[in-house]
Amino acid sequence: MSGIVNVRDLKVGTRVVLGSGAEVEIVSNPRDGVWIFARYLAEGAQAGEEEMIFAQDVVEVRS
Amino acid sequence: MNATKGYHSGLVDLSKGLISREIFVNEEIYAQEQERVFARSWLFVGHESQVPNPGDFFASRMGEESVILCRDRAGTVHVFLNSCRHRGMKVCRYDDGNTTVFTCPYHGWSYGTDGKLAGVPFFREAYHSEIDRTKLGLVEVAQLCCYKGTVWANWDASAPPFLEHLGDFARFLDLILDGWDGREGQAELLGGVQKWIIPCNWKWPAENFSGDTYHNISHRSVDLVGAGPSGRSRRDYSELNVARKLHVAIPDRGHQTITYVLPKDHEPQAAYQNSPEVAEYFRHCEEERRRRPGANSRLMGAPGEIFPNVALLPRQPRTLAVWHPVNAHQTEVWRFFFVDRDAPRAVKNFLRDYYIRYSGPAGMTEQDDMENWNYAHSASRGVIARRYPYTYEMGMGHAVEDYEFEGLRMPGRVVDLTKAQASEEPMRNLYRRWAQFMEADSWDDLMTWRRDGARREAAE
Repeated sequence: MSGIVNVRDLKVGTRVVLGSGAEVEIVSNPRDGVWIFARYLAEGAQAGEEEMIFAQDVVEVRS
Repeated sequence: MNATKGYHSGLVDLSKGLISREIFVNEEIYAQEQERVFARSWLFVGHESQVPNPGDFFASRMGEESVILCRDRAGTVHVFLNSCRHRGMKVCRYDDGNTTVFTCPYHGWSYGTDGKLAGVPFFREAYHSEIDRTKLGLVEVAQLCCYKGTVWANWDASAPPFLEHLGDFARFLDLILDGWDGREGQAELLGGVQKWIIPCNWKWPAENFSGDTYHNISHRSVDLVGAGPSGRSRRDYSELNVARKLHVAIPDRGHQTITYVLPKDHEPQAAYQNSPEVAEYFRHCEEERRRRPGANSRLMGAPGEIFPNVALLPRQPRTLAVWHPVNAHQTEVWRFFFVDRDAPRAVKNFLRDYYIRYSGPAGMTEQDDMENWNYAHSASRGVIARRYPYTYEMGMGHAVEDYEFEGLRMPGRVVDLTKAQASEEPMRNLYRRWAQFMEADSWDDLMTWRRDGARREAAE
């Protein structure tokens, strides 16, 4: 395995970690392999915010 | 020597009925017509039944451009240029489907089904949040019109609305889009779209479908085979044999068609005799149609052309075709087949078999046509051949206005073909409009009906 996260098949509700260290939960996945829509979980300026996340920003699948 | 560098007036000389071969084979003229004709004309994009649900899309074409017909999450229909605003890559490379976003595979820019730019990789880091994403959505057509399920679009904001462009020709398009029993807008697309490329200029099929009855001899073999829905000829003709056969040309718009006008109180004739169930369905529809008020109950559709590149065949088979220009010497044909939405399954199956037996790349009649267009184009490309214009002199001066048959008045300029059999009035109408587009600098010059109307009002 390459260790690269394939975002295409990640299901809604999956938690992933971004390169910035932030943890987000997937709220929808267009399955284009490039973007996911996710909500920031950890406390901080972006907590609760929903954002499009670029595949290259996803470094780890948490659950 | 051939000195023609591009279009100039005189190549279409309708006072003499002569048209230069250059307008078909000259690559510079082809490039000019992309700008002057296709970039400002109303073009057929698809049918709403292809995008029934939010997120549905269909990759279509407008001239040479790839476009996306889609229904956004709120249910609104859009037509976008299929080209990323960053480096132009196609953002949609599927024929059709359902999606939440169109993502460019090159650098990853992503657009919503409403066309808005939603995702830009490294927006904060690389762009420093400094580009205005609201100005970089997918390019949307300037005008869009959904008419009885069909979707039409125009890149030119100054063009007249679609229905004004269609004018009095709407009743002939309605022959495809309304139900066979006369109810409004009952047509649905049958199956997918047949697509194929033919080696000729797009104006060959456009001219043919404008109403070329003169080439009937080309289809003799299909008639002899009996490929029609009753096992005789290629269509059912019993009603047509008692009707007035007409060429109708709408001069200001460039639309033209063959049509048949039935006598008053004419009873439905036997048709679709290869299947008792299908025959009964159409007999019932014909009776219903005659009970409904409206002039169209006495019209039987036949090949026609909506300027510039949409052909209609309202009856047998019931299809729309689009002649997409590829280059001066190639055309991509897209053929859409229609049936009544609530027709029984057996009727739809019967019609599908008949349609593909008649039309499309393997259709017997369309093969005859393609042979003609392709070889005529090829034989007109040489430097010697180009010196000799085609003749369009047939029936010049024999069209009339205010044509009426047993109380049914026809719009535009009409040639009665019942005895004459053929005329080239529709082709002259097509090329007259084409030349107007090539010469006019703006839609103000092209909307001759508005100018003439204003003059009439001033005179009164």
